[in-house]
Amino acid sequence: MQNHFRPGGRGVYDSRVIRRLYVNNYRCLENFELPVAGKQSVLLIGKNGSGKTTVGRVLRIFQRIAQGTNRVGELVKPRELARQRSDAPMRFELEVQLNGQIYSYTLVFEFPKGFKELRVQEEGLKVDGHPVYTRELAQVHIVRPGEVQGPSFRIDWHLVALPIIQDETQGDPLFVFKQWLGRMLVLRPVPTGMRGASEHDDETLQPLPFVSNYGAWFSGLIAHAPSAYSKIDTYLKQVMPDLKDIQNPTVGEGSRSLLVQFSNKQGTISLPFQSLSDGEKCFMVCALVLATADVFKPLLCYWDEPDNYLALDEVGFFALALRKAFESGGQFIGTSHNPEAIRQFSDETTLLLFRKSHLEPTVIRPVSELQVTGDLVGALIRGDVEPQ
Amino acid sequence: MNKERPHILVLPEDDANRQLANGFHRRVDWDRQRRMQVLPVAGGWNEVLSLFVSDHIRLLELWPSRFMVLLIDHDNDPQRLMRALKKIPNHLRDRVFVLGVLSEPEDLKPAFQLPLDEIGAELAEECRGDAGEKWGHNLLKHNASELDRLRQQLFPILFAGEAQAY
Repeated sequence: MQNHFRPGGRGVYDSRVIRRLYVNNYRCLENFELPVAGKQSVLLIGKNGSGKTTVGRVLRIFQRIAQGTNRVGELVKPRELARQRSDAPMRFELEVQLNGQIYSYTLVFEFPKGFKELRVQEEGLKVDGHPVYTRELAQVHIVRPGEVQGPSFRIDWHLVALPIIQDETQGDPLFVFKQWLGRMLVLRPVPTGMRGASEHDDETLQPLPFVSNYGAWFSGLIAHAPSAYSKIDTYLKQVMPDLKDIQNPTVGEGSRSLLVQFSNKQGTISLPFQSLSDGEKCFMVCALVLATADVFKPLLCYWDEPDNYLALDEVGFFALALRKAFESGGQFIGTSHNPEAIRQFSDETTLLLFRKSHLEPTVIRPVSELQVTGDLVGALIRGDVEPQ
Repeated sequence: MNKERPHILVLPEDDANRQLANGFHRRVDWDRQRRMQVLPVAGGWNEVLSLFVSDHIRLLELWPSRFMVLLIDHDNDPQRLMRALKKIPNHLRDRVFVLGVLSEPEDLKPAFQLPLDEIGAELAEECRGDAGEKWGHNLLKHNASELDRLRQQLFPILFAGEAQAY
């Protein structure tokens, strides 16, 4: 039951995606391991500054690498070494299960004296324990099945190798891993900055963290999978019963702009996306997340405070819809301070992040391993929830 | 939640019952999830009944499409169910249900070797019609008569297709 889910007895799906996420010496995360293996959805809770958002930053680093950012200085900064400790490496390790295979990616940075930016000390990708490539400083070795010694080359140690190494086919492990990483959703929506307009050439399947490119994401998803509209429409009509449809007409050469139509007995009104309220824009984001989770299984979604901007009676349903969407594959990681969101998760799927001070690292524990007296939300309000 | 259409409020006694209810809710058909809502925990079985009497009777009268499920621990007290049922006015008896674990929900975890919300999810699957024996467990089988009423009245609200007997 830990690794497989049987939704309504309809068959066995791939196990949950992340098996291991380990971080050392990055911001507040020291010797930190995210305990999400086998879990469909988890909620990260904890005080301000405890490291919930930093987990999203780590995922975003992996994602940006997969999307092509390879300059180390654009990914991590020396000031992000935990407590500015430059004598220890900054380490990121990610182990995921995709199509029944275990992908293990390791990336280690160091900050030698006299350097202005970090450099790669070690990097590598393994599939089911077999190396795809290994790297130490500038030296990269490609490992090919059946070959005693694969090709080697040198690379600037201020560049990450993963985006550079050419994958051969769509079944190539590098392609599979990079595509999955690149398609993760790492979200922290800011409704006021979301745009419903898009250009044909910026249609995308990859929303930016603040979802400023909402229109481009909507266009890209519908172009890639037209059937996704049905899921979007069904969800939005549940939360906005007077929704008629969403249109994305051409408004100029190469441009589109989202229009949201509402109707009832009194008539119909068509509103530009920008006219929606902040909460309604979050419903629109949620609709695309649900549809994306259907299209790209197994999807990983990290959403920092999904309950922001929502009315109190919507928060529980919102969290529930997100948890439900990832039951049949993928993983959802949310963060929240909202009691209604927290109440949607169980003791096993609620992870408390805790840091005693800015001079100490974050620790993380499932609520099921803590001694909580009475109601969790009440204990959080009292500040009584701490790891032993 | 559309209060004009059939909908179900679940009032859990405590956090353990909340987790059972949440797990159940997760397995409700995704386009019917807004027909059910798990309320904040009452803080004890007596508090469930007090809240029901002070707040919910009037609201049930106001909203004829509303149903309620009271989740209370029986704490091995054979009179607990009868005491709870006595609080329900006759004219609302068709719309209010009382369910609970014979002792307390924590005892289900070792019995089923699952976390509470997963147990709740599997109980929902059995309601949907999947084979299973969880509702027949010693800690839950006393709910049979209430469950039979639930099957007839509430499961069609939450699950597409006709829920089967189990």
